[in-house]
Amino acid sequence: MTDAPPPTTPQAGGGNGAAPPEATPHAEEDNRFVQLLGRFAPWLASIGRLTRHQVRFTLLLIGAGWGTLRESLRPNSWRRPVRYEFRATLRQVVGGGFLSIVITATLAGLMVVSQAAYWLGYAGMAQMTGSILVSVLVREISPILVGIILMGRSGMLSLTEIGMLVLGGEVRSLQVRGIDPFLALVMPRTFAFTVGGFTLGMIFSVVSLLMGFVVAHANGVITSSVWTFFFNVLAAMTTWDYLVIPLKFVLVGFFVGLGACISGLTVSSNDTMATIMPRGFARGIMLVLVVNILFMLDF
Amino acid sequence: MTANAPLLELRDVVPSFAETGLMPAPYNLRMMPGECVVIDCRDSARAAIFADMCSGMVSLTQGSIRFMGLDWSTLRDRQLNALRGRIGRISRHGSWLNLFGTHLNVMLPQLYHTTDEFEDVVEHATQLGYRFGLPGLPITAPDRLSGADLARAACVRAFLGRPELLVLEDISDTLPEESVLPFFETVTAARDRGCGVLWFVRSPAAWREYRKAVNLHMRLLDEGLFPMRVV
Repeated sequence: MTDAPPPTTPQAGGGNGAAPPEATPHAEEDNRFVQLLGRFAPWLASIGRLTRHQVRFTLLLIGAGWGTLRESLRPNSWRRPVRYEFRATLRQVVGGGFLSIVITATLAGLMVVSQAAYWLGYAGMAQMTGSILVSVLVREISPILVGIILMGRSGMLSLTEIGMLVLGGEVRSLQVRGIDPFLALVMPRTFAFTVGGFTLGMIFSVVSLLMGFVVAHANGVITSSVWTFFFNVLAAMTTWDYLVIPLKFVLVGFFVGLGACISGLTVSSNDTMATIMPRGFARGIMLVLVVNILFMLDF
Repeated sequence: MTANAPLLELRDVVPSFAETGLMPAPYNLRMMPGECVVIDCRDSARAAIFADMCSGMVSLTQGSIRFMGLDWSTLRDRQLNALRGRIGRISRHGSWLNLFGTHLNVMLPQLYHTTDEFEDVVEHATQLGYRFGLPGLPITAPDRLSGADLARAACVRAFLGRPELLVLEDISDTLPEESVLPFFETVTAARDRGCGVLWFVRSPAAWREYRKAVNLHMRLLDEGLFPMRVV
């Protein structure tokens, strides 16, 4: 092994009498770029932080939605406590929301059906009553009202329950015992909301149309029988309506349930009821509207 | 799990200080099946964190924790949960869900992790309940039970099934006097079939009568985990 030759280039800050290193134009440019980056880095970081914070819930929702669907296909996921939670939540969603749905549907029926029948008859367009009711009441108004009732009656309850479990350490306690909170709480509740959304949506549609018919018939605006009225409504529905209307109820239920559970599961130790509830409400309303608007844009 | 392998082994474990608040010192512990390790710790919060660490709930900056021969850090979620289902745990705080009745809280881990018949689980839980002084399985919500009954129910939940490891936080202040002897008997019965016991105590009075049966006595302090002499 030979000795290494002595260095021929002067080293920065080297021995006595060594000339100070001269900065090349390229190095100076690099230096300026680093300084510039250093000046703007906090701004860029804050923009990035804000962006991530704003889209965090959306990304969480997409991930959790995919996870819920994927896990639900595994038979191993539907263990006894999970099935129990599904049944309990479904009972709460449908039982708790039934009366509100019936009352709201009655009011909507009185307003929309009787008014539509009256004004369309007045304009000599009574034959369009069915299609107007399908497109306005059943397809557009029902999913929004059902979503809002679902969120108010059951979504906020789920949000608060899960949020309190997280803050109280009970969710961690579940994890310690090997019970996955996502499987035990989020997945069954989300599917209970999905089934509940469809059930309540169908009840809403039938009750609103029926109550509207009763009032319009009593006022003499509609003279046909109830069977003819419902036949006209069904005849006005296209094949696409048979797919889109149930799909809207299902998706509204799914996203309201998922949004409430995820909002509850992701509370931080700084959160209180005063911060959890308004955030959950705003997210729930946004999800209901987004589902409906997405369908409105495409179809 | 191979023969003569430790049931629980902490090897130069340094927990994340930011997550746990535990001193980032190396922790070492080795427990064989059927052994009972008593850890003396006055601070129940620190004991709970250490118990969580042994259950693979805490991220480590160094070292490894193996339970039944498996390293917690190498397992995926489903495996982690399945393995945690083999641990019977008594917690001091935050372990009862008021969403369900106490009976479901007690049977929840068994119903989740096993396919045992529901009737068998109920019968086993009821028998354990009788042993610890309960008139059966309480079906009211946990927040309506007295501290003593909750302590009894916590014992039933921890011993239900056939856990491989018992991680017992100190509930001697709430467990009624008449349930202490059944508690010791059940611990011994579990150890006889190879279950390890990691028992956190806050005072010597909690385990004085069981002292002769303890294999290892340690003390969990701010500075770390230190072995003590069993007298």
